Amino acid sequence: MLKNKKRMLGLGALWSLPLLLAPSWSYAAAFINDDKESADSDSEEEETWVYLAGGDVYTGTGAFLRGAGILCHDDKIEAIGFDIVVPEDAEVLNIEGYSVYPGLIALSSRGLFGGNGNLEYSVDPFSDNMLLAVASGITVAVQGTEIGRLNRGRIEDIVVGKQQFTNLSYSLSNPGGRKTLREKFDSAETYLRAYRSWEGAVRSNKELKEPKKTGVDSHALAVLRGTEKAVFRADIQQDLLAISRLAQRYGFRPVIQGCREGWLVAAELGRAGATAIVEARDRRNKSENLVRPGGSSIENAAILHRHGVQVAVAPGSGGISMGGIVGRDIMHMPVEAAFAVRGGLAEDVAIASMTVVPARLLGLEHRLGTIEVGKDADLIITDGDILHYKTFVQWSVIGGRVVYDKEAELYLAHIRPRPVEELAPEVPVVPGERDEEIIEAPKEESENPEEAPVVEPAPVDDGGEGPAPIPEEPPVVPPVDPPVDPPQEGSGDG
Amino acid sequence: MLSLTVPLTPRTRSISARIGRLMILTTLLMAAAPALAAPPGDLLAIRARHLMTGSGETLEHVVLLVENGKIITIGEDLPIERGIPVLELADDQWVVPGLVNCYTRYGMSASGYSDLRPNMKAVDELSPSTRASVSRMLRYGVTTAGLYPAGRGIPGQAAVVSTVSGSTSQMVMREVAYLKAIVGNTSTGKRYLRDGFKEADTWLGKEAKNREKYDKDKEKADKEKDKDKKKEMLAKLGDYKPLDPSNKGQAFLDMRDHKISLLASIGKSADYLHFLDALGDEDVKWDLRLPLSSECDIYHVKDKIAESGARIIVEPMITLQRATLRQRNLPAELHRAGAKLVLVPRRDSAMGDWFRDVGVMVGAGLDRDAALRAMTLEPADLLGVADQVGSLEVGKEANLIVLSGDPFEAATKIVAVMARGKIAHGEDEL
Repeated sequence: MLKNKKRMLGLGALWSLPLLLAPSWSYAAAFINDDKESADSDSEEEETWVYLAGGDVYTGTGAFLRGAGILCHDDKIEAIGFDIVVPEDAEVLNIEGYSVYPGLIALSSRGLFGGNGNLEYSVDPFSDNMLLAVASGITVAVQGTEIGRLNRGRIEDIVVGKQQFTNLSYSLSNPGGRKTLREKFDSAETYLRAYRSWEGAVRSNKELKEPKKTGVDSHALAVLRGTEKAVFRADIQQDLLAISRLAQRYGFRPVIQGCREGWLVAAELGRAGATAIVEARDRRNKSENLVRPGGSSIENAAILHRHGVQVAVAPGSGGISMGGIVGRDIMHMPVEAAFAVRGGLAEDVAIASMTVVPARLLGLEHRLGTIEVGKDADLIITDGDILHYKTFVQWSVIGGRVVYDKEAELYLAHIRPRPVEELAPEVPVVPGERDEEIIEAPKEESENPEEAPVVEPAPVDDGGEGPAPIPEEPPVVPPVDPPVDPPQEGSGDG
Repeated sequence: MLSLTVPLTPRTRSISARIGRLMILTTLLMAAAPALAAPPGDLLAIRARHLMTGSGETLEHVVLLVENGKIITIGEDLPIERGIPVLELADDQWVVPGLVNCYTRYGMSASGYSDLRPNMKAVDELSPSTRASVSRMLRYGVTTAGLYPAGRGIPGQAAVVSTVSGSTSQMVMREVAYLKAIVGNTSTGKRYLRDGFKEADTWLGKEAKNREKYDKDKEKADKEKDKDKKKEMLAKLGDYKPLDPSNKGQAFLDMRDHKISLLASIGKSADYLHFLDALGDEDVKWDLRLPLSSECDIYHVKDKIAESGARIIVEPMITLQRATLRQRNLPAELHRAGAKLVLVPRRDSAMGDWFRDVGVMVGAGLDRDAALRAMTLEPADLLGVADQVGSLEVGKEANLIVLSGDPFEAATKIVAVMARGKIAHGEDEL
C-alpha cells in the first residue's frame, strides 16, 4: 500500500519529492511490516529500479523526447523526463543514441511462451521462442485466450489478463448462420431492453422480478453490453459491408480480422467504428467472376485509417517459423507495419497499429501501448527507426527488468554488433608485420582511454550509481554505421 | 590409443610391481585365503598404495583395518600387528569406496502408472529374482543402490538396498528414502504435487475434527456422575486412535516430518522454476534429478540450485549448447557453481562404463574429488545412509573397490569389490 501511495505521489510534477523522502518511507514501511509479522511475502521482495538514460523516447502519445530518461520502478514507469533523480541502487542503462518505443503487442501467437496450454503451467521462460519473440520487439502476446508478458527468466507475473473476444461468423456464404446470429442479437437486445426497464422500475417497486435470461445467448449479450468484443474473420467486400451494417443495427463495434477488401468499403467500416486486424503484405487477386474491383491492396491499411477505422497489424503466422513463410511470421511484425507505411499509412499510425491499438483491443490501454508515467514498464530500445528493416532491438525492458540484451544472446549478437566504447580500439593490421607485434599493440593502446579527458556523465545520471564515466569519443573508434534516424513523426496523435 | 595418455612412469613401474606381486601373492595366499573365508569377527588389514576416501581426500600408503565388515582404522603408514592377515595391493592399484547408485532400476521390471501414486513403494518390488539381479550390480562396484519405482507423475517411494546378496531383510537398508515426482512445464506435474499436499491437509483436517469429537466425548464421560455409567462410557471410548492416513496423503505427511525427502525429476531450467512454484512454502527436504539431454539448458539456474543446497543427480555426459555445436560439461559447471553433484550411470544397462564416463568428465574439467564424491558419499547422503556407507571412514561399512589404476583413466578396470568386509567380486584377481 505504501508503495502504491508513493507511486501516486510520484505522478506529475511533484514526483521528485517522494523520491527524496524515499529512505524515510521505506523505514516506516519496514516498521509496519514488523508489526504484521510480514504477512505478505511480496512486500519483502526487493524493489527494482531501472533507469534508461538519454534515449530518444517515442512515447506513442504524440510526444517525442530526444535524450530523455525513463525511470522504471518495479514493473511500472515511475518518471519520464530530463532531470530525474535516480535512486542510488538503480540499474542504469546508458542508451544515448538509441530509440525507445513501447513494447509491441502480438494479438495472436503460437508457442512464444515455450509451452502448450495454460500459461501459468506451461511457460518456459528460457525457451528460444521467447528469446526470439523478445528479440523482435514483442513484450506482450496473446496465446489462446490468455494475455501473457514475455517475462524472460521468471514464471511469476506472466499472465496479464484474459482476452475477451467472441468469434462470430456473418458471411454471405452461410445465410442460415447469418439468420441465427441476427436472432441471437435480437433476443439479447430484447432482454437488455427488458432488463433496463426493470432496472429503472425496481427502484420504486422492489417486488419486481429480474427478467429471465433463458434463451439469451450469453456471448451476444456480452457483446451488446460491451464486456466482450465481437471478432469476425472476413475478407470479402459484401461480408464486410454486412458486418458493418449488423454492427450499426445492434450498436457494437466490430473487430474484423483479415479485412482484405476493406479498402473498398472503408467509409462504411469507419462509420461502424470497426477495428481491422490486417496483414499488410497479403497479396490476393480478386475473384475472376466479379466485375467490381477487389482483391488485396497495399493501400488497405492507409485507406482504412483515413476513414476512421482503427488498424492493427498481424503477420501471416503467429508462430516463430524457421522455414516456410520466413519473414512473414511473428518475428517480423514491424516489417509488416512498414509495408502498410509503404501503402500510405502514417508512420506513427503504423507504430500504433503494433502497440496502442492492440492494447485497446485487449482492454489494457490503461497499462500497455504507450510510454507514460504509471503504465507498465514494457519498453524496447532499438538502434533506429522501428519500421526500418535494418533496425534491431538492442535491449528489452519487460515488467521493469532488462530481460534482453542483443550482445548477450547467441542468435543475433554477431550481426552488426554494438560499438563498445570500453573496449580497446582495434589496431590496424599492417601487411608484413609479425603477429606478436599485433598482439602487443592493444596493451599500449588500452591505457589511452584513462588518459583521455573524462567527460562528465549526463546531468540526469546525478542521483544514480551509473556505470563508470565513459569518454564520449575514445581516441580511436573503428568506423561503425551510425544508427538509423528515429521516426520524424512526433506530431501525430497515435 | 587411450593407453598412450597414461604417463610412462607408472607403466614401467607396474611391470616390476607385477612380478613382485606374484611373489607376494604366493606367500600371502596362505594367510589371506583363510581371512577371506573366516567368519566375521576376524580382522583383515588392507595395505594400498593409493586410496581415495570419497569424502574428498586422497591418501598414499594406506592401511585399512576391517573388523566385522566395518572399517575400524584407516591411516597412512600404519604398522600392522603381527598375526593380522594382510591384503597387500600392488603399487599401481587404487582403492575407492564402493559406489552408491542412488537412482536405478537395475534388474527391476515392473511397469508403473502416470498419475499420483505416492503410496507405491519400490521395496515391494523386491522378489527373489529381482534380488538376484540387483546383486549383479556388485560386479560394477556398486555396493549400495537406491531403487526407484517405475512410472510417470508421482510414481512412489524409492528403497535403499545393499547389493550384497542375502535375504530381503538383509538387503534393505531403508524401506523408503525419497518420493519421486516428475515435474515439468505441464499442468499435470505441478498439479500432482499440489494435490498430494492438499491430500495431506485434508487428512489433517479430518484428524483434527476426529480428535475434537473424541475430546468432547471424553469430557462428557468425565462429567458423568454415575460411576458405573462413567466407567462404561470411558471403556467404550478407549484410548484415542488417530485416523488411518489416506494412502496418498501419508507420503506427503512423511515429507513434512522430514522422514523422507522429495526427488523432483526435471528436464530443463523452466521445470525447476515450476517445481519451486508448485512446492510453495512447504518445508520439505528435496533434491533434483535431471536426465541430461543433448541441449539441456540447466545453466540458467545453476546458481539458484547451488543456493538452494539441493543435490542434483545427472549423468556423466557432455551436452551441446543449443543451436551450436559447442560442448558443455554441465556436471562440472554445476559443481563449480557450488551445487551438490550426484552422478549416476548413463544407462542402467551401461553400468560398467560408469567410471569411464565420469573419467571423460574429469578429463573435461570436473574436479576429481568431486567426481568420486558424486558417485559415493553424496548419493549416500541423498539416500540417508551416509552414516553407514559412501566413504572409507572409521565406523562405516567396508565397501570398497580395488581398481587396476587411476579411477578416472580410461584403461582402468575393476579388479575386485569388497562389500561388508568380504570380497564379493573378483576374488581370483587378488
